[in-house]
Amino acid sequence: MTTRPKISLPKERLTSFFEAAYIDSQTLQLIGVFFVLVIFFAAIDKKFLSSQSITSMGFQLPELGILSLAMMLTILTGGINLSVNATSNLAAVLAGFFMLKVVPPDATGVQMVFYIGIALLIALLVGLITGIINGFLIGYIGVNPILATLATMTFFTGISTGLTGGATVTGFPESLAVIGHEKLLGIPIPFIIFVLLTILTHYLLYRTAFGFKLRMLGSNPVASEFSAIENKVVLMKTYVLSGILSAITGILIMSRTMSAAIEYGTTTYVLLTILISVLANVVSGFGNVINVFISIIILQILSTGFHMILAGIRGSSFFKDFAWGVLLILIFIVNYFVYQRKRS
Amino acid sequence: MGEEILRVEHISKRFGGVVALDDVSLSIRKGETCCLVGENGSGKSTLIKIISGVYIPDEGDIYVNSHHYKKLTPIESIHEGIQVIYQDFSLFPNLTVAENIAINEQVASGKQLVNWKEIQDIAREGLAKINISLPLDAIVETLSTADRQLIAIAKALLAKGRIIIMDEPTTALTQKEIKALFKVINELKSQGISILFVSHKLSEVTEIADRTVILRNGKKVMDQDAKGLEIRTMEYYMTGREIDTSAITFAEVTPVTPPLLRVENLNLSHGFFNVSFELRQNEVLGITGLLGSGRTELALSLFGMLPADSGNIYIKGNRVEIKSPTDAVRHGIGYVPDDRITQGLFLDQSISNNIVVRVIEGFKTKAGLLDNRTKSEQASQWIRQLEIKTPSGELPVKSLSGGNQQRVVLAKWLASNPKILILNGPTVGVDVGSKAEIHELIRTLAKQGIGILLISDDIPELIQTCHRILLMRAGKIVGEFHQGEITEQQLYSELIAGALAESSR
Amino acid sequence: MLRKVIKSNEFVIFLILVFLSLVVGTINPAFFSISTVFDILRAAIVYFIMAFGLLPIMIAGGIDISFVAIAAVTSYATHMLLIKYGYQGGIVPYYLIACTMGLLAGLLNGFLVTRFNLPVFNVSLATFTMWYGFNLFFVGATSNFDLPKGTVGYYAKFLITSQDPLVGTTGLHESILYVVVIGIFIWWFLKYTTIGRGVYAIGGNREVAIRSGFNVTMIMLVIFAIMGILSAIAGVTQAFLSRYFNPVIFIGQPLDVLAAVILGGASVTGGRGSVIGTALGVLLIQLINRTLILTGIPVEWQKLVLGIILILFTSIPALRERRIKRMGHTTELLQE
Repeated sequence: MTTRPKISLPKERLTSFFEAAYIDSQTLQLIGVFFVLVIFFAAIDKKFLSSQSITSMGFQLPELGILSLAMMLTILTGGINLSVNATSNLAAVLAGFFMLKVVPPDATGVQMVFYIGIALLIALLVGLITGIINGFLIGYIGVNPILATLATMTFFTGISTGLTGGATVTGFPESLAVIGHEKLLGIPIPFIIFVLLTILTHYLLYRTAFGFKLRMLGSNPVASEFSAIENKVVLMKTYVLSGILSAITGILIMSRTMSAAIEYGTTTYVLLTILISVLANVVSGFGNVINVFISIIILQILSTGFHMILAGIRGSSFFKDFAWGVLLILIFIVNYFVYQRKRS
Repeated sequence: MGEEILRVEHISKRFGGVVALDDVSLSIRKGETCCLVGENGSGKSTLIKIISGVYIPDEGDIYVNSHHYKKLTPIESIHEGIQVIYQDFSLFPNLTVAENIAINEQVASGKQLVNWKEIQDIAREGLAKINISLPLDAIVETLSTADRQLIAIAKALLAKGRIIIMDEPTTALTQKEIKALFKVINELKSQGISILFVSHKLSEVTEIADRTVILRNGKKVMDQDAKGLEIRTMEYYMTGREIDTSAITFAEVTPVTPPLLRVENLNLSHGFFNVSFELRQNEVLGITGLLGSGRTELALSLFGMLPADSGNIYIKGNRVEIKSPTDAVRHGIGYVPDDRITQGLFLDQSISNNIVVRVIEGFKTKAGLLDNRTKSEQASQWIRQLEIKTPSGELPVKSLSGGNQQRVVLAKWLASNPKILILNGPTVGVDVGSKAEIHELIRTLAKQGIGILLISDDIPELIQTCHRILLMRAGKIVGEFHQGEITEQQLYSELIAGALAESSR
Repeated sequence: MLRKVIKSNEFVIFLILVFLSLVVGTINPAFFSISTVFDILRAAIVYFIMAFGLLPIMIAGGIDISFVAIAAVTSYATHMLLIKYGYQGGIVPYYLIACTMGLLAGLLNGFLVTRFNLPVFNVSLATFTMWYGFNLFFVGATSNFDLPKGTVGYYAKFLITSQDPLVGTTGLHESILYVVVIGIFIWWFLKYTTIGRGVYAIGGNREVAIRSGFNVTMIMLVIFAIMGILSAIAGVTQAFLSRYFNPVIFIGQPLDVLAAVILGGASVTGGRGSVIGTALGVLLIQLINRTLILTGIPVEWQKLVLGIILILFTSIPALRERRIKRMGHTTELLQE
């Protein structure tokens, strides 16, 4: 074969760089929205870009962020997981119960670390088990994912409600607060965890055989079965991962609020995670973790930004919900015209 | 025979650089059944799409009921009484028979309210036109394909259809149902309705046609009275050659024992009974039979999609259990499905992802991560090797033509290095040129040592690629023919004999 | 005819309803009292109305969750507007204003879905967030107990009353009539109008519906308009039944209504669903919700039981479908 001297035009080089970095048109759009919002809020209020404001965002957004990763995985397979938030709360409640009932009040520092370690393991175990239940119903029995996770959402919340009687569980050991309140090298620990999980999810989806199968299954479950991919196994693993990510969210919430409750987040949280997936253009078979990451940051900027601008105005924290809805509609419309142009 | 009702003259149509139709003329008389015959890709579907107004011809004239058109719109076409019954029948699976038949009339009437009695009356009237009775309140999705087709015909007649175009109407019908359909067609003829019957199954054509038109590579190569027309003649015109198998070099079959695959008394309820055969290395073994003969079930059983109820499967002399596709793959069995779009391909995914899906585990580096570079290199290699025509392996598979898509499915399996490859209708929906190339590929693979099970009802395909052909009928193997010992025509008559046996049962 | 009824999905739900009632009644005979019936119906009224609004959209193949937000914003905004001007009259203006708003909100969803070719679910997610946010920020963030004088006694306007030894006077609230009227209307709309049949056609095969000449855009706008209006009625009615206006009313309920419609036989992929089935689905969910307390199961564990029941209800049909698939393997069945 003869090799032609390769002269790559800047545009081509840019394209290949984008492809290698998993940047697509949606990413550019989202980055655009990101900068517009940052400039907008910074222009209105200088405090927006203060280290204090950025740090507080770093503590707030990981919870919804990790939950969105949990949601994204299931949407990629062509499913959905409405029980993510119920799983977080159940994990927090069970881990919390363990700490209240088992940990002796006079435990020493080392013992405390051990007990908290066990509590966290319990939380993760809850994520695993809830994931197995969802994976079994969806992968092995073949229940529609909306219905299955709607049912398990009620079921998991039911367990939490039964155990707590609907009350908030508090009184955890002080050292638990480290995860949700401390910083490492000036970066909030929850944010570090979130970034790590985002990178892991990205690698999982694009650099492992499992991630590949997951995306292929999402594109066409029949063809994947005819390609000898074991759909039920892939689905099971996906929902287990989704459960574990939800449980990690539960740990972060528990550590930040130092409490566990059934109603933390409730329906809004689940809907926000779906919203983020929609904004990041995650569909069955195709989705970009980077877009999910940027979408979460945009959500947080809107929330913090409006909170800042509207401070002192009645119900100011609610404006972000309104803005979110409007933004989502705008992005739908922009997408529509972008794709229409592409088609013609 | 009545006066002329439809005439197209000197129609040409190009898609990009490909000539789909080249100076084709055709006319149909009132009450006539004209069979439009040709291989896949010969231009049959382009022609019916021009007549129904879906495509605009580049050149030529269309005369319907003595009205002249340079091009038709779909509305004009319907207005002139042209009705096409596509293979999907365009029905609502969730609605009743009555509503499906009457719905067009309801919408067209502009009435805002539904009179259910009227709907029933319309439906009854529609079914009466073809002398058929169906339960009016039955939900369409619970009905058989044949019944759905009758509904589609009734619907077409109600829409004042004077020319009914049936696109491969017998594809999913059993012999008995085909007979019933032909009765309906004869009934329509007696009412002065013209039928354009599109098919490539010559045995049916000889039975139903008043006149036969054959297209090949976009040109009309034959147009004559069907009386006395022999299958062999039609075949000659269809393919443009007498098939000469002596020019084809078949792989040498390795006579080692034990054979690559041995199947012994395999059974699947409602599928097939006591099936036994052997497949050797380098051998292409054809399995043919009519729809409902159990050929597809047999393939699916060997691939683990429909595990057999009883019987034994031996691979190289060792008894194996095949309960799932994973089992089949572990034993080196690959399966190229007949339904490429839903079973074979991930249409939205890239060509290279489709090719490597079977072997993705093999791209793991020591760290357990996928080596994406090797992955796309290997995909490109298959694209070159199987001559898949695409500017980039990263484009979605849906951007490819049928023949190239089929090569992607083949590449997917070849990448996993199978010992046994089951091909179910490997050239369905593939153009003539690609077809010959795929046949050549099948022979090459056999020479490389793969044992191939070729399931097909395409007689020339079987004759040109298989060492042996097994004939299935009603779930049983009823005949075995060796390469060189049977002609196409003999094989046809064997198949039809089966059909006669079935319909006289 | 009888055979068809027995085999229908509606009949199965009906049987489950009867069975559950018998179980609960056996555990606690107090269940078999007219006051329990009134109680369940009263709780179910607004769910019936919202489910009827959702039903056509689900039949057309869409999944919507914004109807609860529309119910909240229309009812709460109407109320805040009226009391701002010192309105002291009856309830009719409430319905008129709220329904107008609901109509517009529904049409907004419909417009976005049809004009920009968007999935119903995605649009409804956006408007769900948007309307609750709008309500809380622009209209008000706290519940309002200030009812106009003309509406004060409305919560206790009963069609029939009965004396119950335990709870005193109970009754069947007159708004159950709305349910009946709306139910009949939706049934008539789906069965006897060309648009209604178009809804089924779209759910069955959208492409063929377009080819058959249905005006799909218009049909979608109509069903979203109906959804908006019914949501508004549900919002206002709930406020008067509970005697206060809540800006986030129903925020946790869209999935309950969705579940009721699906239990009632509507398919998530469209094409299927009936008014009777939906009504039975709503009753079933409400029955479970309201009567678990009578079974002696502690309040805090009732949700768990509901979850288990839901898991069973969703698994059984899925298992049945799997078996049918296995039996019918391919289209190439031998036809004897």
